Amino acid sequence: MAILERHREQVAIQGGDLPEILLPTNCPGCGIGLELEELRAHNYVCTHCGHHFRLGADVWVALIADSGSWNERWADVRSHDLLDWTVPKPYQETVERLLEDGLNEAVRTGTCTLDGKPIWLATFDFGFVGGTLSIVAGERLARGMEQAASSGTPYVLISASGGARMQEGVLALMQLAKVNAAVGRLHDAGVPYFSVLTDPTFGGTAASLALLGDINIAEPGASIGFTGPRVIKQATYADLPSGFQSAEFQLAHGQVDMVLPRTELRPLLAHLLEMHT
Amino acid sequence: MSVWEIVELARHPQRPYSLDYIRRIAPDFIELHGDRLSADDPALVAGIGTWHGRTTVFLGHQKGRSMKDRVARNWGMMHPEGYRKALRLAHHAAKFGFPIISLIDTPGAYPGAGAEERGIAAAIANAIMEWFRIPVPIVAAVIGEGGSGGALGMGVADRVIMLENSIYSVASPEAAASIVWRDNTRKVEAAEQLQLTSREILAMGVVEEVVPEPKGSASANYDAAAEALDEALHRHMRPLLELDASELRQHRYDRFRYIDSLVHAEPHFGPKID
Repeated sequence: MAILERHREQVAIQGGDLPEILLPTNCPGCGIGLELEELRAHNYVCTHCGHHFRLGADVWVALIADSGSWNERWADVRSHDLLDWTVPKPYQETVERLLEDGLNEAVRTGTCTLDGKPIWLATFDFGFVGGTLSIVAGERLARGMEQAASSGTPYVLISASGGARMQEGVLALMQLAKVNAAVGRLHDAGVPYFSVLTDPTFGGTAASLALLGDINIAEPGASIGFTGPRVIKQATYADLPSGFQSAEFQLAHGQVDMVLPRTELRPLLAHLLEMHT
Repeated sequence: MSVWEIVELARHPQRPYSLDYIRRIAPDFIELHGDRLSADDPALVAGIGTWHGRTTVFLGHQKGRSMKDRVARNWGMMHPEGYRKALRLAHHAAKFGFPIISLIDTPGAYPGAGAEERGIAAAIANAIMEWFRIPVPIVAAVIGEGGSGGALGMGVADRVIMLENSIYSVASPEAAASIVWRDNTRKVEAAEQLQLTSREILAMGVVEEVVPEPKGSASANYDAAAEALDEALHRHMRPLLELDASELRQHRYDRFRYIDSLVHAEPHFGPKID
């Protein structure tokens, strides 16, 4: 596509700026020895087999936002151990350790530009308690969506999540309703909402905002579903076919619009923004 | 009573199920079937009945008592078709201005391959979003198990109440144990950690009221349990009937938008937004 050619230079610039991630010595997809610089220049997609490495929120922001445009919002909202969760590990300790590691909750959100166009961006971080939907995550998502709805700014979501966070109990479940109410506002306001599903997207996150995009885009090989395969096997004793709940499976079952390599994501989003605004 | 004893009461095979309540509080109830797309989900009963002089749409998870019925009702675990049937009936209610009663009693949505193939995640997601657009009053009651997204998919309402010995949880104790401990035999500890009893859920501000059950629990006296549920449902429904559609929708939005405001997470949680 000509439009993709036009944006290619931008991709390379973004790729070069990506933060470093921890990598195994060999690709889990094909076993080839990995070179950090080469992978980084290819948005952490294996140049040999196309394996897509999981990325934290900081890398996704660098990948999507134009350099220097990121304005993070509500980064100071903090989780509380409201259920006094102590076993097997105290929840408060888990959260504090992750904060010390430099992660800031399972969802980060803010405004930026993508190819010069203003957007709201929210990205899950699987490294923070499995990217689970918590009160803080739900609050950041809902606030951003409300502001995007009232300002008419397109909303881009990157998901990677195990679902609702057990340690916040029923209030974590309520985040599905809180966030979906806000998704409804985005749609009612006629604001474009593009949802990018990465590995893995499950449970309450799949059953709320991740599959409600105007356009749903999945990364190749990502696992996407409601109930995880381990629980399905436990509950039904079923043999699951290979590729069950893969991005390609969800494409075949009508749940996503396309399976798109990460290296083509940014130009596609830029083009979609152009077409919808 | 221990937390696990309450979980067992909520799941008791002699506990009244949705149809036991609906047939008592709306004796002329007519069951309606099908999602108009591909199937009818027997795990969700849906239909219309006259309730306090007004045609009302009733929805409810339905479990079976005999093994044959349990299989037929799929243990009250809905497939995607069930959520689509519920929305179809919600649009029926919207068309004619009927209020909606939703009775919740499910371990969760069905964790099987067929449900996944037919888009259970998107079906629940879409149901949760659509409930916010329905322009008629909705009152939901957890009558037994309120398990996970499968329950919330039927639980977006203007008021939500719980029977005394019912539970409401982010995941069933077994699923939570499997997720947190990778061992579903730790279900008792998980149940204690989750704070899933009606009193705890009320204290968190997630439901408006806990309805006391008759002596010996709802299982001991269906008529008295139905009478108590009916009284509470009606008391919550009455003021909603006075509101117009935009007020209803705004209140429903705010109810869930600020449902965690009792938590007071810092800083600036709650309705005030910069």
